[in-house]
Amino acid sequence: MENFLLFISTIRWQDIVDISVNSYILFRFYVLFRGTNVFRVLIGMTVLWFLQRIAVSLGLIVTSWVVQGIVAVGAIIIIVVFRNEIRRVLQAKNLKSILWGLSYKTATTPTEIIAETVFQMADRKCGALIVFPGKEDLSGVVQGGTPWKGLITREMIASIFWPDNPVHDGAAIVQGDQITVVGTILPLSERDDMPSHYGTRHRAALGLAEATDALVIVISEERGDVLVAKGNRLREIKQKQTLEKNIQEHLGTAAVDKGAARKESLEIASAAMLSILFITGIWFSVSRGQDTLVSLDIPVDYTNRTAGTEIIDTSVKSVSLVLSGSGALVKSITPDQVGVRLDLSKTSVGRNTFTITSDNISLPPGIVLREVTPSEVEVYIDETIQQELPVQIDWVGKLPDNLILLEAITDPSSVKIAGSKSIIEEIKTIYTEKVLLDELSGTGQLTAKLVLSPASLKMAPGYKDEVTIQYVIRERE
Amino acid sequence: MRNRYFIICFVSVAVCPFLLQPLLPVKHVGSVHAAQLELFQALMAEDIVSNAPYHPTVVFSVKQKKAVCFTVFNQVPQKLIIYHNWYHRDVPSAKIRLTLKPPRWSTYSSIELNKTDIGPWRVEITDETENVLEVLRFSVTE
Repeated sequence: MENFLLFISTIRWQDIVDISVNSYILFRFYVLFRGTNVFRVLIGMTVLWFLQRIAVSLGLIVTSWVVQGIVAVGAIIIIVVFRNEIRRVLQAKNLKSILWGLSYKTATTPTEIIAETVFQMADRKCGALIVFPGKEDLSGVVQGGTPWKGLITREMIASIFWPDNPVHDGAAIVQGDQITVVGTILPLSERDDMPSHYGTRHRAALGLAEATDALVIVISEERGDVLVAKGNRLREIKQKQTLEKNIQEHLGTAAVDKGAARKESLEIASAAMLSILFITGIWFSVSRGQDTLVSLDIPVDYTNRTAGTEIIDTSVKSVSLVLSGSGALVKSITPDQVGVRLDLSKTSVGRNTFTITSDNISLPPGIVLREVTPSEVEVYIDETIQQELPVQIDWVGKLPDNLILLEAITDPSSVKIAGSKSIIEEIKTIYTEKVLLDELSGTGQLTAKLVLSPASLKMAPGYKDEVTIQYVIRERE
Repeated sequence: MRNRYFIICFVSVAVCPFLLQPLLPVKHVGSVHAAQLELFQALMAEDIVSNAPYHPTVVFSVKQKKAVCFTVFNQVPQKLIIYHNWYHRDVPSAKIRLTLKPPRWSTYSSIELNKTDIGPWRVEITDETENVLEVLRFSVTE
């Protein structure tokens, strides 16, 4: 129990947001693509991905490569093959329906009018094909057709399929409360187990139903039968009410009974719960797995030094951190994500000892600090001062034997240096860089840089780091 | 005091500084101590010949084996002690005690050079109370 409470206390608000956002994204994917082939293929891809991970963990090199390749290619295939469905979801719907809504329906189809008209036409043996698209796009399956976009009425349906109408042989597509296209050519089913009295119209209805999630109503011209094709089934409907119910169920507008509504609510709730569990599982495996250790040498960043002070020396320049986390997170750590910072704002001149704690260390989310070596750091702080020091030339080499360097002066003869008090107090002279005698043949002038050592020393403002040397050379007597 | 390689010459020479003056470049006459002691001249030279500095210079080759710090004092009121403090790269190398006698006095100290002495040097001339009268700077080269 204590462990559980300890674990709960380590969960950050960012973790809750992380899980919530991704669970909702997964849930919306389900809502937007449920019932379509895209969703089924996505599930297949997910299974393949898990198989690949298992293959990797078992050391099945070739298998993991193959599955990885299939997943990679599959991702492209999904985008290409199902581009219409994806476009329909992303473009045809408003933002609210993508982010929030549970139904796509925007206009109610007059199912009663359609069912009544269908049976009236059947009584007259007037052949017809009426298509009710599901969630899948039909544009890649059907061919031709004439845009219609007329509100559904008994007279309109009857006139479209009237034998003298040029488009009566094709199918009419119903979307919402409109007939959007007429005279459309449907793909034919290639099944060979269809009854002999079924004609081309039946084969076309079944062909589209097999290829998509659409529902197709067929009225037989010879027998006056009414049939409904859905999936790979083609069944006869005897009553108007049954047909109306079939259409409503397909469109999702059926006056569902309490049990059906409850079932759908349960399905949505289950999907939401599964999304949360799935993402939580992934989150745990990625962020809370503590199976991998890594050791990193991280430079210590000394910050907030008080004005007028300087760091003279530190016991360490970097510390060794032992970090743990899930393999995926540990592998993705880069040195710039990890930092060790010591706040020097409360230090005093002299030796200061710091104990490095987790407060001094910044880590990526999900990574836990196990050990710091060394855990204590000593920092020597000193006051910063400015001091004027004489300049001396550092001659090297050799003058020709017949010459003698009588005198040499620098301009300026002294410079002001800024740096740590303890260092500057030890320095009595600022030397120039080495000045070569070999090239000198007579009295003259040259410039030389000043050498500031240690490197923490700086020239005081207004002073240059070079001097002019005027020298006098005479011949030996 | 480390002076294992020094030949300390605190040979005091009572020579007339006025005779030396025209021969030598005057190296910034030093400060006066107690308004009585006056450092008239201070310079580095390769040697002392006939009680006078020979070949004043600021660069000494180790081949010359020797560097001399020569000082001339005017108005020496009484018998006094001064020091020639030799530093190699700011590290003290020798502190040579020299005696001055009235009314004027010239004196010098020298070091023997070898390869370990290559680099910049300075000689601080101080009185008995460590008051710096003059600083001479020179280099020892190959």
